[in-house]
Amino acid sequence: MAQSRRYGLQLVGIVILLVFTVFFFVPIVWLFLAPTKTDGQLLTESPFAFGSFSTFAHTLHRIVTYSDYSLLIWLKNSAIYSFGGTALAVIAAIPAGYALALTHFIGRRVLLVITLVVMIMPATALVLPLFLEINKLGLYGTIWALILPFGFFPFGVYLTYIYFSATIPKDLLAAARIDGAGEWRVFWHIALPLAKPIVALVGFFAFVASWNNFFLPFVMTYDNSQYPVQIGLQQLIGSTASFNPANYTAGSSVVVLHRPDLAMAVIIAIAPVLLVFLFAQRSLVSGMLAGATKE
Amino acid sequence: MATVTFDEATRTYLKSDRPAVDRLNLEVRDGELLVLVGPSGCGKTTTLRMLAGLEHVDEGSILIDGKNVVNLPPRERDIAMVFQNYALYPHMNVAQNMGFALRMAKVPKADIDRRVRAAAKILDIEEYLGRKPRQLSGGQRQRVAMGRAIVREPRVFLMDEPLSNLDAKLRVATRAEIATLQRTLGVTTLYVTHDQVEAMTMGDRVAVMKDGLLQQCDAPRALYERPVNAFVAGFIGSPPMNLVPGSVEARGVKVGSTHISVTDALPKPIGDSVTVGLRPEALALAAPGDGIPAVVRIVEDLGAESFLHVELANGANGAGSLQAKTNVIARIEPHSTPGNGELVHLRVKDGSMLFFDAETGLAIPT
Repeated sequence: MAQSRRYGLQLVGIVILLVFTVFFFVPIVWLFLAPTKTDGQLLTESPFAFGSFSTFAHTLHRIVTYSDYSLLIWLKNSAIYSFGGTALAVIAAIPAGYALALTHFIGRRVLLVITLVVMIMPATALVLPLFLEINKLGLYGTIWALILPFGFFPFGVYLTYIYFSATIPKDLLAAARIDGAGEWRVFWHIALPLAKPIVALVGFFAFVASWNNFFLPFVMTYDNSQYPVQIGLQQLIGSTASFNPANYTAGSSVVVLHRPDLAMAVIIAIAPVLLVFLFAQRSLVSGMLAGATKE
Repeated sequence: MATVTFDEATRTYLKSDRPAVDRLNLEVRDGELLVLVGPSGCGKTTTLRMLAGLEHVDEGSILIDGKNVVNLPPRERDIAMVFQNYALYPHMNVAQNMGFALRMAKVPKADIDRRVRAAAKILDIEEYLGRKPRQLSGGQRQRVAMGRAIVREPRVFLMDEPLSNLDAKLRVATRAEIATLQRTLGVTTLYVTHDQVEAMTMGDRVAVMKDGLLQQCDAPRALYERPVNAFVAGFIGSPPMNLVPGSVEARGVKVGSTHISVTDALPKPIGDSVTVGLRPEALALAAPGDGIPAVVRIVEDLGAESFLHVELANGANGAGSLQAKTNVIARIEPHSTPGNGELVHLRVKDGSMLFFDAETGLAIPT
């Protein structure tokens, strides 16, 4: 009786997991299969049917060459903004987290609390004051309008604080101080080389946050040549006939996009994040588990 | 080489109602190995860290070669420290660990290599120079930590329980090596341990601390034979000194219902309570009916000697006392040891008793 009840509960658990798996995986599978089909096939064939490689290549060519290679320009812009913002975030967050975790100075606790408070604030809440600030500094429309704000990454500071608090023995830093290192050299020669996992983790999160950000570049940029890929995707939605039937009448000379083109653009837009994740995977996992167990 | 002087040095931690180190006056002589010993929380490690510059000195001063260093950062004190957990830099190999301080001091690379190799040769760790700390055993790591200290040729060595992570056998071997090395190098050394055997075997002098206060600083033999108070008497020695309650009588003391004669009269009125200090070796088995009656609880036979753990019988806690029964350890010859539960009589060897004030714990001179 008890055994059959246990099997029953296991079965319910498996069913729940399967439902959620299907719910979350269907859109992803659909997305990756969509560019292999034409717009018509997308509507008429099974959602999980594979079209053809030639259609995939054709869709890729259409989206890359669309509007004078706009997608590549947006990708380039995204890369500049994201790598610049990530570099700045890492440069600021790692020493800040270190200082909060392992040094003593007046106001340390207050700064830590502020970091936590800012971390839980929605980033969009700061977009308007940031816009005013950037505008006042004369940086509106420049790459700095999108790089400088990402140097402020309280989540990264907090992650680093947790990492250093949990993993670096204080005696190690004391040994370095006795060995003749000043505070900066203690950080540079001892703490930083031991913080590679957290540098990778903070870098990854900062990169993803910057790459996927929509609202800040939406406010800070005004020209197609400045757009990052997230704003570009929005432009592409505007150019997709199925989503805007009133704008695109039959016989128009304007090049219109279709749903498979849009799906391909989305795949291209998320590819860099996947690549960064794959390259940093080992460090990321060790960074996420840091301090979880006593060595 | 240098002298180190603590002059009324005090450290009180935030939110603490008493100082961790309280007006410490102590001098470490040039080339001496002075061991700071005491129970957990007595302030010994804080004292060491104050000298290292890792702990703020709230009051008083610390002088190295006559110069007050309390306001100098650690790197300007010319000291080297061996930590309890070794604190080796995990991302550097042994050679880099040992040479780190010299690198910070911008010593030319060739000199660093030469000095690291020389130190490695002394410590017999030349073959490990290319290894990372995680590839070494506990004993090897301990040697690297020592190597990191000696390669700098500092004025003062500080050692914070450097043997506590080693197994018992390695600890005995290493403590002799450290003591020999220190005497060879002749560097003034302050060594912290909670292990009084380590303190007694290694130190030129031993300073005993309790509750942030220095109790006594003297040569090991003097500490053992002439402790200034009951705490030092009970802390130094293994097994520790037996401290039993007694009362002053004419030409002796009464322990339980037994009178024990004392050669020199105690400077205390008859009837006053005292604490009687008896080293385990001060007790011997006596003929039945002679000496203090006691019941054997445990016999520890160590081969060369045996320890009897006995419970004093016949109200040994004093007349009308409701204290717990008094347990005493006696060292006896290994052969013909009594069995557990057996009633024995213990004799106190002449001139081997110490007396302490029952209230203050201070030694009573006889």
